[in-house]
Amino acid sequence: MVLLTFRLKVKNAETGATVEMELDGDNSVDEMIESAATFWNKDMGAYVLRKGKKVLRGGSTLKDAGVMAEDVLELIPDPEGG
Amino acid sequence: MPGAVDQDTFDRSRRVRWLDLDAIFRTRVLMIGAGALGNEVGKCLALSGFRRVTVVDMDHVVGSNLNRCLFFTQEDARTGSKKAEVVARGIMDISPDARARAVVGRLEDLPGSFYDGFDIVLGCLDNIAARIHANSHAYHAGRPYIDGGMEGFIGRVMVCLPPDGPCIQCGMNRSHAKVANMRFSCTGEGVVFHEPRLAAEITTTSLVSAVMVRECLKIASGRKDMTLRNTFYYDGQRNVAEEMEVPLDPRCPNHPPQVLQVSENHIMSGSVQ
Repeated sequence: MVLLTFRLKVKNAETGATVEMELDGDNSVDEMIESAATFWNKDMGAYVLRKGKKVLRGGSTLKDAGVMAEDVLELIPDPEGG
Repeated sequence: MPGAVDQDTFDRSRRVRWLDLDAIFRTRVLMIGAGALGNEVGKCLALSGFRRVTVVDMDHVVGSNLNRCLFFTQEDARTGSKKAEVVARGIMDISPDARARAVVGRLEDLPGSFYDGFDIVLGCLDNIAARIHANSHAYHAGRPYIDGGMEGFIGRVMVCLPPDGPCIQCGMNRSHAKVANMRFSCTGEGVVFHEPRLAAEITTTSLVSAVMVRECLKIASGRKDMTLRNTFYYDGQRNVAEEMEVPLDPRCPNHPPQVLQVSENHIMSGSVQ
């Protein structure tokens, strides 16, 4: 099986910082959220990843989510307090 | 001498042509959670004309609630008043025509049929597990569910319209699952304490609750065509307010195959129901 590796950027919505990540299409959105949250030492909590105006489904692979090379995704906290 | 216009409490509301005040007066609203968000939502519901409101919450008032909860007083904190009762009373103080009912107890202990007695469900909750519970019960009862969430200066509102709209759970992922059973508790009693990243903040609370009740007004007035279809996201630090799309997740347990079939048929036929 050939896995296509590509680079993309993830932006930290809270700070504006970005990180470049090298992934393959079979990586999941969940994995990417965890990697980015770990990289920025985020507090434990709920986060979502979005591409443009669309929230990406956690269990999807990047390929199925329509993520492509050079995309800029954004990691945003999902506020759960009330 | 004031004229008739000045004597009518809802004169200004009547000037908004799409508002159906009679329907709003009759709408049975279930408000789950009577914390910071519940206080503000309760206030907006009462002032907007909602008269049949049931408030559910198991918690009691503590001193640290007082910087963001309109209806709570020092006396409530001293005596440990039940939040649901204080908010229900506050709604009736604002609106003498309102019949607000308090249910003091755990959301999870309510029977599934409980939701059948309401027209709209508002989630003013402080944890993911309760959101999942309220969302699924409202969805399966066929009731619109409006959920608000906030953290510091960040807020979110999502409107879930069964049978074919996406629901709260569609937008969740593994990070939600990890904290699903940890309450963002004010009192820390009987729960696994999960420290929020930031405490609730009143200006964000006010904005989120206003959007929630505005969407409630649209649904009660029969104007689902105007309702927020996606998630409203607000970041008060960056001065950003925008809509984000949460696609329906075919693996979400709230959307069995027959529902997805209905959804596809609606899309095919161009229905906007």
